[in-house]
Order: sequence, then structure tokens, then C-alpha cells
Amino acid sequence: MRAETGSGSLYHRLVVYTLFVLLLLPLAGTLLYSVSTSWSASLLPSGLTLKWYLALWTDARFLAAFGQSLLVCFGALLLSVVLILPLLFVVHYHFPRLDALMNVLILLPFAVPPVVSSVGLLQLYGSGPMAMVGTPWILIGCYFTIALPFMYRAITNNLQAINLRDLMDAAQLLGANTWQAAFLVVLPNLRKGLLVALLLSFSFLFGEFVFANLLVGTRYETLQVYLNNMRNSSGHFNSALVISYFFFVLVLTWVANRLNKDKS
Amino acid sequence: MSFVSVQKLQKSYAGSAVFNDIDCQVERGEFVTLLGPSGCGKSTLLRCIAGLTPVDSGRILLDGQDLVPLSPQKRGIGMVFQSYALFPNMTVEQNVAFGLRMQKVKGEESQARAREALQLVELQDFATRYPHQLSGGQCQRVALARSLVTRPRLLLLDEPLSALDARIRKHLREQIREIQRELGLTTLFVTHDQEEALTLSDRIFLMNQGRIVQSGDAETLYTAPVDLFAAGFIGNYNLLDADSASRLLQRPVSARLAIRPESITLRLDGELEGQVRSHSLLGNVIRYRVEARGVELVVDVLNRSSADLHPDGQRVSLSIDPTALREVA
Repeated sequence: MRAETGSGSLYHRLVVYTLFVLLLLPLAGTLLYSVSTSWSASLLPSGLTLKWYLALWTDARFLAAFGQSLLVCFGALLLSVVLILPLLFVVHYHFPRLDALMNVLILLPFAVPPVVSSVGLLQLYGSGPMAMVGTPWILIGCYFTIALPFMYRAITNNLQAINLRDLMDAAQLLGANTWQAAFLVVLPNLRKGLLVALLLSFSFLFGEFVFANLLVGTRYETLQVYLNNMRNSSGHFNSALVISYFFFVLVLTWVANRLNKDKS
Repeated sequence: MSFVSVQKLQKSYAGSAVFNDIDCQVERGEFVTLLGPSGCGKSTLLRCIAGLTPVDSGRILLDGQDLVPLSPQKRGIGMVFQSYALFPNMTVEQNVAFGLRMQKVKGEESQARAREALQLVELQDFATRYPHQLSGGQCQRVALARSLVTRPRLLLLDEPLSALDARIRKHLREQIREIQRELGLTTLFVTHDQEEALTLSDRIFLMNQGRIVQSGDAETLYTAPVDLFAAGFIGNYNLLDADSASRLLQRPVSARLAIRPESITLRLDGELEGQVRSHSLLGNVIRYRVEARGVELVVDVLNRSSADLHPDGQRVSLSIDPTALREVA
């Protein structure tokens, strides 16, 4: 790396720190608000307390919403792993030309605004043989389509980096069948891309509100819907909720990064 | 009957033939090189023999057994790739032992055989490293050990040296040849580098546009190219059309003429006068461009001493060894 000297270095550091402060300021404000007894007319909060966190983490409705959010997210991610990994494998190993088509297809969930597609989903799954509106199943299916682009792109980049074809060929010539080659050689080398994809999708899905609210609402309350329904309660309570949510994602990210460290 | 016998092999991609009716034979223990420009079908032929690319028709016999209906796993063939294709998630030793693991060779025997293979490529001290901790040359040696550990009947090398730098390339090619001799392993080597082909091979198949143009030992290929392509691809032949050749030799010549640059000598006086246009130093050889009777010739002269150097513009006379003139179709 290039050694920075004098004013250049100072300038670069200033930019980085300013950015950090800008990004952290609202969060720090929320954190402080969530641990204050009251904070309205004064410059600083009048006292510190953990009662909002206590109230939150003993609220059965919150715990249920938290668990249900986790369940829906993990369900969607499990479905994506089970479906997308083999799909990617087939596309890249057997039909590399399909990659161009896939790149268009995976953008569709993003091309249609959530409000529009949820109206379509309500029409399709509201009644009839596949009536799922109001159940977690429709959320799992819907979240699968949202996770698709994250999963597909991250794993594709990983696949391109490992030279899939030669690895498969080498493994087969050494006596491995397709399954052995896929599980022993290809899959362990996709760990990085897969973890990145899962983390990215999870963070996104865990904070998803529009689909959850329109398709299921209070019938299977997720975290964001719960937050929305609590909007009229105490701001301190809501801040505690936001900070808890943020902290959970932070811990998860940290754990995933630890798992992703290179063996040396 | 030959150990490896490819008979009337056909392969086409999307309607256009990669090769048509290829026939070739390799004897047991032979080191044979498939040499040719990129796109000539040499790698595809190798992949067909390995079973990685299906063939349209024809037979590939290995020790009398037709390989075509067999899957790559059952062919008993080892292969080394240009990209090394080492498994990044496994250590060097695990990479080498992978083939044994697939054959359900267990514990101590597997470890002993993997170590033995690593010893063969002089990497026994690197067993616990991961591929990303090795240099390109070391990676390729691991790949070689990995393909040898299962004791294949036939070893295929698909441009194994192309991704390496010059010094390591030279060293590794000697090592490959040594190991091949030691094990008496029948080997098919694919390259587009004529120097590699000439120095390594017992026999060379020169390929162009899906055909084997010429086959023979290095000496034959170098001194007796059968056609214009062979003369143009191997060595640095002066290729003259009939008109230029007639003018240069001052006798009627009806075909194209190929003259090796080292079969022409430069003197200070003689019949055939010319002038040095330029020269370049290739180490032990000086390559002159000399114009004589309106024909530009490349002349290679051994670099004995700087006193013998002919400066650009100097008038010289040439003498061409008449036995080295080859008419090519």
C-alpha cells in the first residue's frame, strides 16, 4: 500500500471520519433516546434507564414477531439455497449461455415495485386452490424472489472465480461422480459467496415491511409490521426496538465474518 | 497393435467439424506431442480421449479396450490442466490423495502413496500447504503428482506449461520428461510451442484445422516439413514462392521453396551477392535479414565473436547448402 504523508493523509482521514460520524449520528441519537427516561425540552436526556429494553424483551407480542420474522427469513433463505445452488450449478456447468437470460430474470423482482407486485400476489393467491394470503407461506415464497438476485449474483461471482469446469473435470478424472465432485470440490469453495449472499439477503429480508404488511399484516406479525403497529406507543420504546434490531443484525454480520475467515 | 489407437474419430460443434476422421497411434511408454496453433482441435482431441467431451463417432482404443462408451471416471486416465485445477479447499496432500479417496484407498496406504507422489515432484515438504500458498510452478507439480498417484494407464497434459514463466517452464518440462521416463508412462502432451514439442517428444503429431498434417520425430518434422503449413509452423523457414526462388537460384523452380535460416552461410566474397538489411541478437545466434537479388532472406549465424559481426548495410555473399533446399506443396 502507498504511504500517505502530511496534508493528503489528513484530508483522507477527515473524509472517512466525517462519513462515519454522519452515518453513526442518527444511530447514536436513537441509542441515547432508547436508554433515557425522558428527553424532550432539554439538550441532554434527563436520566438514564434500561426500562424500555426490559419492557420490549418481556413483551410476548414482540418476541412472537421476532421469532416469526426469523422463521420467515430462514424459510425463504433455505428455499433459495435448495433451489438456487443446483440451478447455478446447472447453468454454469451445462448451459453457460443461459447466464445472460438468468441475469435478466433475476432483476424482475426489483423491476416491479413491491406495492404493484403485492397487488398481483393478492389477486393470484387471495382465493382459489392456492389461497395463501395471510399465512407465512406466501411471505416465504415472496421473499424467495427478493433473495434471488442477491444469491444469484454473489454466488455467480464466486463460481467465476473458481474455474468450475476445470475443477469438475479434474475431480471426475480422479474418479469422483458428479455428486461427489459437486459436494467435495465445488460446494466448499462456494462457502464465501454463499455466506455473503445469505447475509445480504437476510439483512434485507429481516427489514422488509411492504410485502409483510400487505400480504400478511397482523395475521402473522413480523418485526417490521410490529414496529409499524407500535408507532403510536412511546418513542423510547420504539427506539429500543430499532436498536435491538440493529444490534441483532450487527452480531449476525460479525459471526458470519468470523466464519468466512480464510484458513491459512 | 498400438497401446493407444484413435480410429476415425469425428467431432463437430454446432454443425462445424472440429476434426474429421482422425487416426493416430501411440506406442506404450511413448511421449507424444500434439502440436498446432490454437483452434486446431488438439485440446478437443485430448478431451475426447479423457471422456470430458463426447465424440460423434469413431473409436478410441486403450490397450485394446474401447474407451468411447466409458465415463471419464472409468478410463484410468490422468490429466493435467493449463489452469492447474487444484482444489482450493484442500491441502496439497489432500489434493494428491483425492483420487485415492475416490478409489476408497484408506489411511496409511493412501498417505504413503500421496507422500510418494509428492516426493516424485520434490514437494514433500509442502504437504500441509494450501494451493493459494504455492507458486504457479509448484501448483502444476502438485497437479502432476495428483494425476500420477492413481497410477493411470495414460497421462494427458493439456498445455501444462503455458501459464508459467520461461525459466520455470524449462525446468518443469525437464522434470515432466524425467518422471515420464522413470515411470515408463505413455503420455500425450498438447502444446502450441514448437520448442517444447521438439525438445520433449519421442514423436510429434502436427495438427492444423482438425487434421494431423504430419507426424514423426522431432528431427523429421524440423528438417523435412511436408507442406507449407508445416514449414511455416516449425522452425523459421524462409518460404519463397516459385518466382522469387527462380530469381534467387537463377534456375527455373516450379514449386515453393523452403530454406532453413541456418543452412545459409555469409561470406565476404562469392557468387551470390547480397546486403545486410538488419540484424538482431538472439543470444547464441545472430539473425540477419539479408537482401539478395530482390529477395529478403533470414539467415541465422552462430554468434562466435563480435569480430565476425556483419554491420547493417554491409555487402556480403551468401552460400546456400543445396541439400537443405526443400520444395513444399
